[in-house]
Order: sequence, then C-alpha cells, then structure tokens
Amino acid sequence: MRASELLGAAVVDAAGTGIGKVLDVRLVQDGPLLGTMAALRVDGLVIGRRTLTSRLGFDRADVESPALLRVGARRLMRANRYLPWDQVDLLPDGRVRATSTDLAPVPMLPGH
Amino acid sequence: MAGRVLDLSLHLLDRQVLDTDGGMVCNIDDVELTGPDDGGPPYVTAILCGPGALGPRIGGLLGRWIVATHRLLGRRHEDAPDRIPFQLVTDIGSAVTIAQSRSELGILAAEDTVRDYVIDRIPGAHRASE
Repeated sequence: MRASELLGAAVVDAAGTGIGKVLDVRLVQDGPLLGTMAALRVDGLVIGRRTLTSRLGFDRADVESPALLRVGARRLMRANRYLPWDQVDLLPDGRVRATSTDLAPVPMLPGH
Repeated sequence: MAGRVLDLSLHLLDRQVLDTDGGMVCNIDDVELTGPDDGGPPYVTAILCGPGALGPRIGGLLGRWIVATHRLLGRRHEDAPDRIPFQLVTDIGSAVTIAQSRSELGILAAEDTVRDYVIDRIPGAHRASE
C-alpha cells in the first residue's frame, strides 16, 4: 500500500457518516529492525477537514512561527481528531471507517 | 509511544534524499507501507520516488501524463515507481540520508534520458560549473 492511498482518504464513522479526511499519518520508530534503523510503524491517522492549514503543522508540532499565525491555525484545527490504527477499518472503496466514536484530539508531537 | 514520533506529511514527504557523500538522490514522493503477516500495523518499507510515485499522488489527467512520460523516457514497461528500500536509510532529519549513491541504485532513468539526450546537447551545458 502507498501512503498516498491513505492521505486525503474520506473518513466515515461506524454509521457511514463523513467525519473528515486523512490529513496525516503518524509514525513511531519502534518497528522491526530494517538495516541500521527501527522501522517507522503506523500508529494512527490525523483526521480533519482543513488540508492546507494542516500542512503547516502548527496544530501538532511546536513549530517556530508568528504567535498570531500559530494561534489562528490551532483554532482552525481544534476539531481535528486522532484515530489510532487499531480503530481503523480500510474499506474496499478507499474510504477509512473509524470503529470508535469517541476520538481524542491530536496529540502534540514530542520534541518538535 | 517509546520510539521517535514523526508525521508522514510533515517530516517525510517531499524531503530530499541524500547519499552518504551529501549528493542529491531524489525527493520522497511517496512511501510504501507493508503490513506484517500477523495483521499488526503496517510500517514503512520503502521510499518511492520519481514520476512513477509523484503522478498517482497528484492524480487526474496531469498525474497520468506524468506517469506516461516516466514510462516513455525511462524506457520501462510498467508504471512502478523507483523504490529505495528502508534498509538503506541511515538518518532521518531535515533530509533523509541513505547508504548508497544514485548511480548504485539505478533509479530515475527518465531524468538520465533527458540529461543525456536534451540537456547535454544544449550549447554550454558542460560549462555549468565554471
């Protein structure tokens, strides 16, 4: 599977109602050893509706930026949610179904 | 989460891939995710680059044209993108460093074709570094 098949995919809840699209894929470097590094394991999906604002990363990382811009971006992205991979169901039509209804806000990236 | 945490779009996609001498290899246009046999979460097994990876990501008519050009100029019979196994990755920072050079990987044949048959024939092309 290519990552681009996940990015931008529509996300629906268990009832089939659209709740956004996949804005990003969170990876954790604790997979099996590949060469000299541990593999990047998919931990979950960042879900929301505003792709362009999400590309800035202000809502997930402590990026140096003008304070006004950072506050505005975080306000726009506050409805984003994090879908852990064990609650992901990939549908044959390319959509992603969230098996949980109670999704948490997107955790901030540690150390960024 | 015990290991380092990255977001794919923020920290990997469109980043440069460098070889160990600092030479430019390619950009990360997509990554390959593979699920283990036990049904666990997938992990990144390869960096995908070149028009064969970028075209499907862009999609639409432009995406199909990019892939067709890649196939024609790269003298390939399939649309598969160029692939760099994750085993070759030695560092992930503002750029991704790998343990082989571009010539050793044998990737981006379409770019080499354009360089050999178009760019090199432009008068003055070999004086670029002067």
